[in-house]
Amino acid sequence: WKKDEFRNCNQTPFCKRARTRAPHSLDAPLSLDAASLAVSPDGSLTAALSHPSRPRPLLLRLSALPPHALRLQIDEDYSSNTPPHRRFHVPDVLLPDVEARTLHLSEPKTAGGVSTFALSSDVDVVVKHDPFELTVRRAGSGDPVLSFNSHGLFDFEPLQESKPEGETWEEHFRSHTDTRPRGPQSITFDVSFYGADFVYGLPEHGSTSLALRPSRGPGVEESEPYRLFNLDVFEYLHESPFGLYGSIPFMIAHGDGASSGFFWLNAAEMQIDVLAPGWDGSTSTENGQIDTLWMAEAGVVDAFFFVGSEPKDVIKQYISVTGTPSMPQQFAVAYHQCRWNYRDEEDVAGVDSGFDEHDIPYDVLWLDIEHTDGKRYFTWDRSAFPNPEEMQRKIADKGRKMVTIVDPHIKRDSSFHLHEEATAKGYYVKDATGKDFDGWCWPGASSYPDMLNPEIREWWADKFSYENYKGSTPTLYIWNDMNEPSVFNGPEVTMPRDAIHYGDVEHRELHNAYGYYFHMATADGLLKRGEGKDRPFVLSRAFFAGSQRYGAVWTGDNSADWDHLKSSIPMVLTLGLTGMTFSGADIGGFFGNPEPDLLVRWYQVGAFYPFFRGHAHHDTRRREPWLFGERRTALMREAIHMRYSLLPYYYTLFREASVTGVPVLRPLWLEFPDDKETYNNGEAFMVGPGLLAQGIYEDGQKSVSVYLPGKELWYNLRNGSPYKGSVLHKLEVSEDSIPSFQRAGTIVPRKDRFRRSSTQMLNDPYTLVIALNSSSAAEGELYVDDGKSYDYQQGAFIHRRFVFADNKLTSMNIAPKNLGNKKFSTECVIERIIILGLSSGSKTAIVEPGNQEVEIELGPISLRSGLSSVAPTVRKPNVRVVDDWTIRIA
Amino acid sequence: AVLDLALLGCLGADEAYFRGGVIRCRDGSGKFTRDKLNDDFCDCPDGTDEPGTSACPEGKFYCQNAGHSPITIFSSRVNDGICDCCDGSDEYDSNVTCKNTCWEAGKAAREKLKKKVATYKSGAIIRNQEVQKAKVAFAKDEAELTKLKGEEKILQGLVDKLKEQKRLIEKAEEEERIRKEQEEKRMKEAAEKQATEEKKTSDASQEVDSQETHANVQEDESKVDAHHDGHATGHENQTPESESSVEQHDPERQDDISTKAGPGDESPAKETSAAPTKEQESTPADAEGLSREELGRLVASRWTGEKVDEVSKDDKNEHESEHDMPEPSEETHEDESDVPEPAEDSYSGYHSEVEDDRHKYDDEDFSHESEDEYADDHDEHVGSYKSDDDQKGDDHSDLTASGQASWLDKIQQTVQNVLQAFNFFKTPVNLSEASRVRKEYDDASSKLSKIQSRISTLTDKLKHDFGKEKEFYYFYDQCFESKEGKYVYKVCPFKKASQVEGHSTTSLGRWDKFEESYRVMQFSNGDRCWNGPDRSLKVRLRCGLSNELNGVEEPSRCEYVAVLSTPALCVEEKLKELEQKLEGMSLNQRGHDEL
Repeated sequence: WKKDEFRNCNQTPFCKRARTRAPHSLDAPLSLDAASLAVSPDGSLTAALSHPSRPRPLLLRLSALPPHALRLQIDEDYSSNTPPHRRFHVPDVLLPDVEARTLHLSEPKTAGGVSTFALSSDVDVVVKHDPFELTVRRAGSGDPVLSFNSHGLFDFEPLQESKPEGETWEEHFRSHTDTRPRGPQSITFDVSFYGADFVYGLPEHGSTSLALRPSRGPGVEESEPYRLFNLDVFEYLHESPFGLYGSIPFMIAHGDGASSGFFWLNAAEMQIDVLAPGWDGSTSTENGQIDTLWMAEAGVVDAFFFVGSEPKDVIKQYISVTGTPSMPQQFAVAYHQCRWNYRDEEDVAGVDSGFDEHDIPYDVLWLDIEHTDGKRYFTWDRSAFPNPEEMQRKIADKGRKMVTIVDPHIKRDSSFHLHEEATAKGYYVKDATGKDFDGWCWPGASSYPDMLNPEIREWWADKFSYENYKGSTPTLYIWNDMNEPSVFNGPEVTMPRDAIHYGDVEHRELHNAYGYYFHMATADGLLKRGEGKDRPFVLSRAFFAGSQRYGAVWTGDNSADWDHLKSSIPMVLTLGLTGMTFSGADIGGFFGNPEPDLLVRWYQVGAFYPFFRGHAHHDTRRREPWLFGERRTALMREAIHMRYSLLPYYYTLFREASVTGVPVLRPLWLEFPDDKETYNNGEAFMVGPGLLAQGIYEDGQKSVSVYLPGKELWYNLRNGSPYKGSVLHKLEVSEDSIPSFQRAGTIVPRKDRFRRSSTQMLNDPYTLVIALNSSSAAEGELYVDDGKSYDYQQGAFIHRRFVFADNKLTSMNIAPKNLGNKKFSTECVIERIIILGLSSGSKTAIVEPGNQEVEIELGPISLRSGLSSVAPTVRKPNVRVVDDWTIRIA
Repeated sequence: AVLDLALLGCLGADEAYFRGGVIRCRDGSGKFTRDKLNDDFCDCPDGTDEPGTSACPEGKFYCQNAGHSPITIFSSRVNDGICDCCDGSDEYDSNVTCKNTCWEAGKAAREKLKKKVATYKSGAIIRNQEVQKAKVAFAKDEAELTKLKGEEKILQGLVDKLKEQKRLIEKAEEEERIRKEQEEKRMKEAAEKQATEEKKTSDASQEVDSQETHANVQEDESKVDAHHDGHATGHENQTPESESSVEQHDPERQDDISTKAGPGDESPAKETSAAPTKEQESTPADAEGLSREELGRLVASRWTGEKVDEVSKDDKNEHESEHDMPEPSEETHEDESDVPEPAEDSYSGYHSEVEDDRHKYDDEDFSHESEDEYADDHDEHVGSYKSDDDQKGDDHSDLTASGQASWLDKIQQTVQNVLQAFNFFKTPVNLSEASRVRKEYDDASSKLSKIQSRISTLTDKLKHDFGKEKEFYYFYDQCFESKEGKYVYKVCPFKKASQVEGHSTTSLGRWDKFEESYRVMQFSNGDRCWNGPDRSLKVRLRCGLSNELNGVEEPSRCEYVAVLSTPALCVEEKLKELEQKLEGMSLNQRGHDEL
């Protein structure tokens, strides 16, 4: 990591200015002009914000979005005293129907310089006029939930017509000059969360802590705010508030009995302080209040207050404005094998057959930048890959897919048609002088398509057609890397802030969203290629709020050490809380050679990541899972098999995420919001509502403390042993797996036959694992569709709920009717039902309809040899998953 | 044929195992009734009860493949929609129909196997001849070693005697000198003051001496600098050709250049010298001095580990010296020429000890009496050549020559004469006799050192493991080459392996050992890779009619693999095994014909 190459807050004038300001000390605090306050025809509330010393008033707009979200917009008033430029509003991030869903607000009640209006039946908003301050509170109790500017730090630098005499707007960092032709335009404000013990979110930062640690105030030593600025950071630290590849300006607060959230839609550089109690000199340690300071270099205020009150509600509220995660194809949820680089077709064939020889399943083989002709994307190095179609076909014959990399930097090479075309059409981002921006990346001199422009995105999307992308086939998917964008010779290894985009937008204004638009264009390209019938798979490194709609992300170039393994879980959990549930870290660590034991542990932890991929730098030794001796091969095979057996469960969870936004991998507190012990647990995690796993993050660790929340029992996934809830268990660490448990009261669907890839598991029978709770009941779900198309949107899927109660297991249909006229069916049956915690010595079960008797015997919880038979198992009920049925334990 | 579902997928010989009403799981974990055999539900975790279905994760499925060879596949392949057995028996209940391809595939496989058997047959004959010869040659080496050790002992005795004699002579001479000195001293005592002045003069002359030495050193340094300038020019032009052309301008100095410029030679020095450079780089001042393009290359090189002016990752095997430089820039390159050139040091570290031996022999003034026996042998090996150090085989031939007994006798006789002739007690010492003793001592000890060096060479050679039947004996004096793109790979078994590009040589490793029962030659501890391991090479051996190196690859950064075909691997047992397999396949084929 090269610390010097990145700006800290003190080297960033807007941050330094805002951060050193004392509460309530602003020269020109904004106040609301009461006379201007009105409900506009679209149902929102508008008013002017002003101060006598300011050149123009600002326009305030407040609107309500069901359920329980307040939107606050503040911008220049362009109707009068026209400011010199339009500030940038980030387009295409909010769902298109957000405006249409806006509620009609009631007329506010104004008295004593305070206006109040109802957001919903139980939440109201209090607006203080001078200075402007806003509080969202529970209507009944009057308890505040969130507030804006309660510390008087709200500042909005107005755009200036011209540079004042004797002042320079230029900024310098290292050898780079930012001309800043539009001068200062930053925005700062404070937001307070009430009833909160911790705040979470704001990816992406390296951290082993799930909760955001205070960044300023008493007891904080290294004082640097959380930076949101998409950067390609070489050998990033596992513990640092500095910005990484993606930015989501969304924060969730959670405490005993309350959760809330705050989202600021702004793509400029942002710095956020989490303030430790007493930061403002106040001695009162008000319990459960967390103050935060938000600073952005440019843009407008377009912020959302989410009221909760359950943590899942906050996520759903955020998702309701930024969109649900896209439903991945089945293969994408399985294991991916990547390396920089699989050299040639022979290498690809060798790795592919290596998996078969060792009976290790995988679904996708990846090709990094070397597969191209001189880093010209959409081309092939024909000496290494003379027959790419043939190669893909061979892989596809085993039901597998391939992924190639397509980055945004385009080689400035007059013989490269893509470059010629982009140049001719004027599709590149421009530098401050108006010429095509020329930066340095893998191919050498490169330019970057201006992805902000919808026309250019359309053009880019067309490049993925089979006709345009020679050598591509329907089983080839795409990987977007370097889209922060990474510019090797740019300031902070990215694009200069004064570069110019479509609509005269400065790069500083949209920087954090560049990768988002690129990801979007690529995903649209795959969608077009498949004529809207094939769900795209695009992995991106850069991301922004809303990226969940376009595909998966990973945590970038991590390192092969235990600390990076440890930080991967808080990082993935944080991404999940902020919408990006389809994420994972490179298994084994990108840089460096993992010790074999670390690699094994990484597979055991990584097999639970929503996005499960092994990857490595080209200077590292080969690390395909069979290269470290028989024992370790067996352990890694077992970890990958575990994931494959849980694919039905994972796919069902991805379905849930695609509908509600509730992530696949969840912090414990998302499932146990009242259990304080879980609030800052970043080492353990839930997979859906049913499974809990605890990573092992130390070499040679002998024992581990695992906190199992809730009142119910937990069953060890490998041997079925029960453990009490609400207890910190000290467990012996086994090399076989990381500690993992099924929560009593849940039912987990599995497929226990191991095939070469998920494709061959299509018709395989299911196993249901039922863990009974203290009332001998349990429930769970199974979602199945064709695994690849959008037919599910027209009703072509199976969605079952399994309920076990009164010694009877019932399967019921929970698919909503009238979604469409498409149907999905399967002959798949349930071959085995394992019931953990069943007390009776029952020997038979009766299947209805049919009144058929089947055996119950003791069976193993997992079919791997050497494990004893521990649980009552219904043998071959062979009921179809599409049907309604009951199985009664006799 | 009737498909017996219950016995599907089980090896013919195992059918008996499943005959009973209650059958035990093979791993002893339980038992099952016969109606649960292949009932598509896993009862034995080891898969005993499901030889024909995919129900057990640890199961194996047997396909007969009449017309070809029977195989056993993972049960996960059963009914998965992919044809694995050429008879299609693994897809008896899936949505695909597999054609029986055993006949064609079997035929092709048999043809292939036949060819392999033929190769093994001819190879085995060559191998046997080689083994016989190797055994003889090895025995000869051993005999020579024994003999040399005997001679060494005798010669050592003579040298010791002569040394003692020499010592006595010198002692006598010394006493005489002291005596004379004392005489002179007495004579000079009168003129002592004058002597002090003389001393001053002598000091002055010493000063002049040291100045001369200094001048020499400087001259050496400027030579090095000149070379470095040439190197840097090459980089600026960004073409490896220009670099080599610089070297070719001065053919006389080529040797000198290639050793000095060899990246292998330089790399250790670069690593040390580059470390402080790396530090500097991280300071803003340094980066600010770079042009925008240089900065781009510099940053890219962090990920690629490459030289800045080769930022693109295309070149998988680019000039190795460039890998070895952590994040260099033109500036750092310039800096390096200021660093004292360590090439001489690394030179000796890099070249094998054998070559150092050669230099010793080169200085010898032996009369080349006879025998090119080794050279003759080597000519028989196709696709290989003698290793560099073979020349010394000629140099020491006089030691092994048939006439050797006579020189030893002669020397013994001469020494005897000298010793007898010399009279210790005669004073002053007879000068001509003393010089004869000295000469004889010099001659004898020079012979002794030659013999000792030959002994050490032979011992070094014979300590190696040449295989169970000494089948790799002749590898000792051979190197094998393969050209892959712009590189030539050189593999010298028992010594070293290298990658050569033009005049630059990168060590891929020194001989480590045989692995996998003589099927792999491992070379380890080659030149270090930046951000990677020390280079290493695994040479996989396989049976072939001649020694041929090919298929050199680098599957992992700086970990090379290659294949060497050699008759040494054409072993009889393997031949028998292949013949049996062929026979089995033919039988299977006939069985198919009958159907």
